[in-house]
Amino acid sequence: MNAFISALRAELFVAVRSLGTRLLVLAPVSLAAIQLLFSALGESGAQAQKALLGSDPLEVASSGYGYWVDALVTGFIALGLLCVASAAHSFAAERDLGSLRHSVIRRVSRTNLVISKLLSLYLLTATSLIVLIFGSWWLSTMLFELGPVVEDGYELISEGEILKEIHLGLQLAALPLPAAIAFGLMLSILAQSATQALTLALGLTLSFDVFKTSLGDTAAYFYATFQPSLIDASYLGDVARLARGYSDVLIDDRLLQLNYWAPLPTFLICLALSLVVVRRKTL
Amino acid sequence: MTAPQTKQQAAITLQGVSKSFGKVAVLKSLDLVVEHGAIHGLVGLNGSGKTTTLDCILGLRPIDSGAISVLDLPPSHLYRAEGRVVAIFDTPSLHTHLSVRQALEHARLLLPNPERDVDEVMSLLEINRYANYKVRSLSLGNRRRASIAHALLGNPELILLDEPFNGLDAGGVDEVLELISRFNREFGMSFLLSSHQLPYLQTICTHLSVLHEGRIAVSGSVESLLAATSARVEITTPQCEAAQELLATMSGLSIERIINNVLHIVLQGAKPAEINRKLIESGIEVEELVHGQASLNTVFREHTSDTPTSIASRGAL
Repeated sequence: MNAFISALRAELFVAVRSLGTRLLVLAPVSLAAIQLLFSALGESGAQAQKALLGSDPLEVASSGYGYWVDALVTGFIALGLLCVASAAHSFAAERDLGSLRHSVIRRVSRTNLVISKLLSLYLLTATSLIVLIFGSWWLSTMLFELGPVVEDGYELISEGEILKEIHLGLQLAALPLPAAIAFGLMLSILAQSATQALTLALGLTLSFDVFKTSLGDTAAYFYATFQPSLIDASYLGDVARLARGYSDVLIDDRLLQLNYWAPLPTFLICLALSLVVVRRKTL
Repeated sequence: MTAPQTKQQAAITLQGVSKSFGKVAVLKSLDLVVEHGAIHGLVGLNGSGKTTTLDCILGLRPIDSGAISVLDLPPSHLYRAEGRVVAIFDTPSLHTHLSVRQALEHARLLLPNPERDVDEVMSLLEINRYANYKVRSLSLGNRRRASIAHALLGNPELILLDEPFNGLDAGGVDEVLELISRFNREFGMSFLLSSHQLPYLQTICTHLSVLHEGRIAVSGSVESLLAATSARVEITTPQCEAAQELLATMSGLSIERIINNVLHIVLQGAKPAEINRKLIESGIEVEELVHGQASLNTVFREHTSDTPTSIASRGAL
């Protein structure tokens, strides 16, 4: 156990000092912030237009939550891709460099090496997620008025309902991240070099999106497992519509169940394969 | 070959180790013993499998067959030695985005009881002034110094070094040689060094193994290897046949081969001055006489080459 803790501390020591980690933590929130700023600019323009032309008396006053959720979707897409890329780069790059050899010779078993890498990636992803959610929320409160959806003075959708659905959307988007990271790490262990690992991981992840029409029902499995934020019917995307007053938002129960349960076996398969392969891998 | 050792005496034991890359057999039933407290040199031609041997010992590369024991542990469980075994590789394999101090602090995190602190090892290797430099910005020589500092943090029992002198200037080589001798003398550390630099190895190694065609061609203490290796003389003369006839009558030498008016003679007690005098007295013109003392170069050449090579060219191995 002590050796594992040492391995994890060593992993984090290197990770917090790397440019890749800074990118993983700051890029999603930065993209979300850019999206919010553009939305605020667009909103200001629309309000100026309304002031000139006069407003529609039947128009629904949407909540600023819609913009926040849009920003979260953008952040999640970046986060998902960066997680896979970081995981794919982690093991293979250190093997290319030769630094893995010191850990394995000195104190860390190959199994502990993989698990400590995985755990350190999870901790960094969790940090990125927290920074994304709270950073984009803070900026949203600065730029928009967050509140219920109101029509003609009547509250259509309460703030509590919106927050509840945002919570569900975030949960569904975050659940597959561990499996996506395990998938990236597995490719990193299988690949012969960091370049190969990175290309393979991003290529495969993005090809899910390219071939979604031909994948049929299988597409839902891939999205639910790896990249739910990329799916056209992402629930987080639907929540943005809900926060704008569209009350017909319903989550597909099959997708919901897939989103809840598909990542776990995928994660376990990727982890098991990684542990088997790493035992015989030349480092 | 080295006499069989008991496990307690050996820091490293390889028995019948074989390793192939596809159809190419690199190690063929290799046997090797590195004693505790020894500075053991492992030499061989390029591609003879020195690095592969070290990788197999360190558990970085799985072997096809045979058995390896390192401090009584199998290579796959070397991590249980908890820092008693360390390695310095031919390419300094530290995290390049870290500063030297950070790279050493990182290594310290992996040790259960680090014996030395970061400043102490930096002072030992005289790299204090580079403490805040990124590893990637260092010269190859200073990176190698940082790698050695990295290895010395935990007071290891056994250090494996792959081409430790690569990239070092003359002063750097002397420092490394001095450090190896000192750590061996003062702390009883065992070393296994793979290198091409035979003259350097001769100054510090207590034992040597020559790896040739996937097997250990010869292994033993440097003293015994030198004692078993004959000195040689090369005589260049236009009267080769006459010289050959005369030398055949002398005792304490044997003519190994004659190539291009050069007689390659193995000395077995005869003195070069005596040979020279006899040739001159017999009116045989001697254009050149080169006397090669027994050295690790000679040992190496004897066991890795089928044809005799010029003594004069041996220094450039």
